[in-house]
Amino acid sequence: MKLAPKRWLRCLLFLALLLCAACEPVNTPGAKAHQQGKLYIVTTTGILRDAVANVVGDRAVVTALMGPGVDPHLYKAALGDLQTLREADIIIYNGLHLEGKMGEVLQKLARQKVVWAAAEGLPDSKLYKTPAFQNSYDPHIWFDVSLWSQLVEHLSQKLQQQDARHATYYQENTRRYRAKLDSLHQWTQAEIATIPAPQRILITAHDAFGYLGRAYHIQVQGLQGISTVSEFGLQDVSSLVNFIVRRKVKAVFVESSVSQKAIEAVLEGCRQKGHDIQLGGTLYSDALGEENGPAGTYVGMVRVNVGTIVKALR
Amino acid sequence: MNLDAFWIILTGALVAICCSLLGCFLILRRMAMVGDAISHAVLPGIVLAFLFSGSREVWTMLLGAALLGVACTFLIEFFHKKANVPADASIGVTFTWLFALGIILISVYAGQVDLDQDCVLYGEIAYVPLDIWITPSGLNLGPRTVWIIGGVLVVLLLFIGLFYKQLYLTSFDPAFAAAIGISTTLWYYLLMGAVSLTTVAAFESVGAILVVALMVGPPATAYLLTDDLKKMLLISAGLGTLASAGGFYLALWLNGSVAGAISVVIGLQFLLVFVFSPSHGLVSRRRKPALSAQG
Repeated sequence: MKLAPKRWLRCLLFLALLLCAACEPVNTPGAKAHQQGKLYIVTTTGILRDAVANVVGDRAVVTALMGPGVDPHLYKAALGDLQTLREADIIIYNGLHLEGKMGEVLQKLARQKVVWAAAEGLPDSKLYKTPAFQNSYDPHIWFDVSLWSQLVEHLSQKLQQQDARHATYYQENTRRYRAKLDSLHQWTQAEIATIPAPQRILITAHDAFGYLGRAYHIQVQGLQGISTVSEFGLQDVSSLVNFIVRRKVKAVFVESSVSQKAIEAVLEGCRQKGHDIQLGGTLYSDALGEENGPAGTYVGMVRVNVGTIVKALR
Repeated sequence: MNLDAFWIILTGALVAICCSLLGCFLILRRMAMVGDAISHAVLPGIVLAFLFSGSREVWTMLLGAALLGVACTFLIEFFHKKANVPADASIGVTFTWLFALGIILISVYAGQVDLDQDCVLYGEIAYVPLDIWITPSGLNLGPRTVWIIGGVLVVLLLFIGLFYKQLYLTSFDPAFAAAIGISTTLWYYLLMGAVSLTTVAAFESVGAILVVALMVGPPATAYLLTDDLKKMLLISAGLGTLASAGGFYLALWLNGSVAGAISVVIGLQFLLVFVFSPSHGLVSRRRKPALSAQG
């Protein structure tokens, strides 16, 4: 009886040893990239991965830690991520607190590895600050295509320095991709401009579209703040409902990575006031869509988003 | 990866020992869920720290969280003692209230800032090996977390080692403790102070789920194996350490979250012991009536 606890400890030790038998992965994407003599670049979000992949083409392997549809604010790391980060030659994250605590860890990792915060390459004046707090920026920089194009240029120059062998190739890719982004920017401007000015109001659940609003002159109203833990208040709902009814807004939007519930409360409120309003569709806010789908690339995502907005509001 | 594995398992083991030692006392006082309570109650501390400093930097957040952690345990005891509410109800009232206060503070003052425990306080055990402490002279001292949690563990071991008698008596027999002149209130507050500081430091290093699981799981399992507090402390520290190693390999095998895997192993340990424990287990309890019938 006295020895019993030890016996059970031994049993548990055995169980633990069984688990130890699980072996480590050998053929990782990073190892493969290195075998082919390529750089292995790891980004946090899929949106960044897309930007970098367009610069490096087939000369480097680019992986994102977060898959399609993942909210970067809520991302939970898997053990494999550590291995991926260890193997990376270059790590790129968004910065401006998009990745939360993970951003802090990566910032510290910069003392040992090549780590870049992409948003650092943008001039402070172009960043959208939260009115009340001077040190807090809106991290959703990708919604202004011209700003994103600047970010691509910044990353490209850093990549050219880091990997001088392929500098001209990267330069050429960047020039071509930025031309594409320029025409996307103009297309977006033209498309949004087709919405009559009084109807140019974008209403979403959480405040992620500040850059879109500023760049393309569309008024942005979020029900919730940026943080997803802060619940929307009853007053938020009723004042938003009043705003919608007063301005005769035609549609509101949901986001791919945020719950629909909040916005449904607004819809219901508007209908009770006799204002007919519809759900404009789903916008991609913090992550790209499925890899081979229409919103699987940055350009695709912007086109889908703008298409959804224009169709519902015009 | 091997050195990384070592650091992760070591961190897990250190956190496990800290949490399970304190957890033993908490279970005996029927306050096992105090760790979970603190994980929620720190929210207003984080928001206030941000509102005062305007930064989301680690040390600011830790300070706010630690203050609220301590305040939470004080309030729990206050309601428990003064209003005569049972301890579990007092825990429930206190932390939901504090958490709600935090949510209101965010929605009123800081709705435009991404601010919650998940993104500014809770760490990730898988990233422990990346956060290295490098001295100004460039010396690599290993993960920062290992030093922090190691320090916490040393303090805890001293605390429990030096004052074992007081902690033991006030947990088991408050009336007797009071009779021989040991202040139950003082030792309650000292223990709870240790609990709040340990949990907040551990949240920052490895995240909340793991801390809560380690604080309840191994002590509860040890409780089924022994009636002796000293043995219970040793067994739960051992179980916690095993769970952190086992959980690491489970996470490696599944390529999943390390904290999640360790918590699963803790649950499995409890189930195994619950079924097979020689004194409290399902199997032995079934067998006992049969034996007595024979005798």
